[in-house]
Amino acid sequence: MARNLLLAAVVAVAAVVIVGAYAATVLMREDNGGSVNYLRMPPATMAASLSGGGIDGYIAWEPFVSEAIVGHTGEVLFWSEDIMPEHPCCVVAVSQDFLDQPNGPEVTKRFLKAHLEATQWMVDAMADTTSDEYALLKTLAMEFTTRNESVVEEALKHLEFRYAVDAAMLSGLETFVDMYIETNQTTLAAVQGRGYGSVEDLVVTYVNETYLEGAVSVAPASSPLTPVVRAGYLLGDLHQLAYYVAWNGRVLGGEQSLFQKYGVVVENASGAPYANGGVVMDNFAGGNVDIGYLGAPPALIKHITIGTKIVIVAQVNIEGSGLVVRSGSGIQDIEDLVNRTIATPGETSIQHLLLKIALDREGLDLVLKT
Amino acid sequence: MNAILKWFKKMPRSQWKLILLVASILLFIGVWYAVSWWTELRDPVQGSLVPPPDEVASSFYWLLSNKDRATGIYLFQHMFTSLERVFLGFALAFALALPSGLLMGRSWVAEGLARPIVEIFRPIPPLAWAPAFLIIFKIFWGPVAVVFLGVFFPILFNVMLGARSVDRTLIDAARTLGARRSDVFTKVVLPYTVPYLMTGVTVGLGIGWMCIVAAEFVSAEGGGLGYFILANSDFGYYPEMYAGMVLIGILSVLTTGLAGLFEREVYKRMGMD
Amino acid sequence: MIISVKDLRKVFTKERREVVALDGFDLEVLESEFVCLLGPSGCGKTTVLRIIAGLESKTSGQVLVHGKEVASSRPRVGMVFQEFALFPWRSSKKNVEFGLEVRHVPRDGRSKVADKYLDLVGLSGFAEAHPHELSGGMKQRVAIARALANEPEVLLMDEPFGSLDAQTRNLMQRELLRIWAATRKTVLFVTHSVDEAVFLADRIVVMTARPGKERESIEVLLPRPRDRTSPEFIAVRSRVLSELDEEFEKARARELSHSPEVKNNA
Repeated sequence: MARNLLLAAVVAVAAVVIVGAYAATVLMREDNGGSVNYLRMPPATMAASLSGGGIDGYIAWEPFVSEAIVGHTGEVLFWSEDIMPEHPCCVVAVSQDFLDQPNGPEVTKRFLKAHLEATQWMVDAMADTTSDEYALLKTLAMEFTTRNESVVEEALKHLEFRYAVDAAMLSGLETFVDMYIETNQTTLAAVQGRGYGSVEDLVVTYVNETYLEGAVSVAPASSPLTPVVRAGYLLGDLHQLAYYVAWNGRVLGGEQSLFQKYGVVVENASGAPYANGGVVMDNFAGGNVDIGYLGAPPALIKHITIGTKIVIVAQVNIEGSGLVVRSGSGIQDIEDLVNRTIATPGETSIQHLLLKIALDREGLDLVLKT
Repeated sequence: MNAILKWFKKMPRSQWKLILLVASILLFIGVWYAVSWWTELRDPVQGSLVPPPDEVASSFYWLLSNKDRATGIYLFQHMFTSLERVFLGFALAFALALPSGLLMGRSWVAEGLARPIVEIFRPIPPLAWAPAFLIIFKIFWGPVAVVFLGVFFPILFNVMLGARSVDRTLIDAARTLGARRSDVFTKVVLPYTVPYLMTGVTVGLGIGWMCIVAAEFVSAEGGGLGYFILANSDFGYYPEMYAGMVLIGILSVLTTGLAGLFEREVYKRMGMD
Repeated sequence: MIISVKDLRKVFTKERREVVALDGFDLEVLESEFVCLLGPSGCGKTTVLRIIAGLESKTSGQVLVHGKEVASSRPRVGMVFQEFALFPWRSSKKNVEFGLEVRHVPRDGRSKVADKYLDLVGLSGFAEAHPHELSGGMKQRVAIARALANEPEVLLMDEPFGSLDAQTRNLMQRELLRIWAATRKTVLFVTHSVDEAVFLADRIVVMTARPGKERESIEVLLPRPRDRTSPEFIAVRSRVLSELDEEFEKARARELSHSPEVKNNA
């Protein structure tokens, strides 16, 4: 009796494994000649997976690149600026519903004033690594990312914070959308379905500089202006440090935060910080987030696929991502990545898109590891 | 009119059940349409998060012969990956939980030794282990290990309960017939435990599906249905996402149904139906 | 002498209190003899059976089956329980084959023996039936066949008909005598029914209340089949009953004196 039971269980398992393996080998693998395998993975676990041998490399945002450098588990094969100089990365976006509220535009300008002042403060602090400001910046970065000093110090070297909307940003966004169209992840028809004549039209309409321009002249406010801003941002993303700097009182000597200085009340949106930009977009759609920090690609794709009504109002940083390979793996250039497994934060992440662009130039594909 | 009424009244219970099943499915689809229509009306963006059933159905159909846009492989490949993991995790859990449960149910030393450890680990949701398992057991076996944990405890505890409640006189009878300890174990305790085991299996399978989908959210080699759902949601391909969810429902019903058939067959062979 | 019990003592420990179940119990059973053990409830009848079967250890004394000490050898005894104790997942035939199976008798041999004993108990047509498909009487027939198939030296029966209705019970008593006549097995039969004991036994051993020991051994010399309404039957029955009643009274008196609630109320 028991023998029959066990036998049946074993047969069932064996059948599924055999059929599954058959499907995997015969049907799934088409032509893997020139392709690199990828896996989705939370960036926080990438360095550990790399040293554990589960992956050959990964592409992620800071501080997760420096984590591997400092820990001597990996080395950087290329930085994202090697693929696309001055490429846009994280952006600030505002929901259209928020802008439609009576004081919405004014509060947005005040928020952006704090954002740009925080960004400027970081840029200044990083210019002199012996300054007190730099020491404070490091402390804040460590708090925000929960990474140690050497990791943060290394990571800051590879970051450039930039709030301004410029030509490089616009052309970068166009490249991203073109890539989505090229790989059939969306279509020009879908872009036109949202009321844009072309990809260029989408980008110049979707990015609205006027709030940032208005922010420059915002003066310190004696009293806060409602509505309250429910802010969304990503977990431990050093790129988005400006948010933490603007929110934190220590930058202005402890009396008040930059947000308070300009009379804007900011609270973390429910569920924030979020895991990735897609989740920020979902929370925009659900009406939970008024202003959000997120990567440009997720902001673009969900605006096209489901029509989430937001406007990009500023940049947060440029560049600052890198591809790490395991030390001693013998990978020396992009071609060596063929048939290796690289972890990315997910298909809609900027890192995934950049890796795809880099491989595309060498005529290589990026396919899900099976 | 009366004739129809009479005909309805005379209908056997099994036919009524069939009618109720169809009615239940229709009701579900109707409610789905209503919710979709209502959210669409309220806010078109939120509406696209709840696509109507026909859109999901046509997505499903499209996915049968096209690589999905988010992950670049076929839906059935994701399905096989998940199935493979569920069955591997299940088989491992079964193979380990059955003997452990029998031992813990029959030996107070084994129970005294293992119970505290088991009680510490039992209340921890298997998913809490997912990130750690991903690193320890790597990308393929990590989610399998999560499924393993999800399936292991229901089987272990049911088998233990069964082994402990074995009718004392059955063991006495076996012993007077010349059975040694090992005979008592394989010919009395084990068969007695089978119904309990089957309960554990049915519960475990349901948990297994929950575990695999969520574990694949963290990361997964070869994708998997959980992964498929997550990636499509990231892109805003919601009809595809729902198609994946429906497929999980179907698979779960099928595997549980299979376990039920297996259970009935076992009972029939054991003469306990 | 097939069973020889001398000065048997059994002490149970229940919640740290020692209960003497048997003390100075003696019993001798001859080859092919049908002996009924009769006594007030809790007198240790079943314990005697379980010790002889090797299911329970004795505290002191001597228990020999075929001259061999039970504790050191596993006697070849068959036991039939009140609860039938059939394996519900096995067919009648597979139940009967159980003892042969654990003794590694080859399949063909098992099948032959099982068929023979199922035939003996009149259940040839129910070989493939599972216990849940059988009536109480049929179940006990299977259990008897199962015990006999092992070819035991002694058949121990622990109130085997206690859970059957009166009619089935009478039928099974006649059936048991028929089977006994056919096999000439030694039977040690525990019951609390005087009527049953007088109907079945060659000899009735009446036990005292706890701690149990032999009070009286009564030979029943009536020819079989016995007529329950005959004056001779009724005479034996009365004699056994009066012995037993005295023990019942003793047991009850002691129970009352041991019960604190009763004391307080009085």
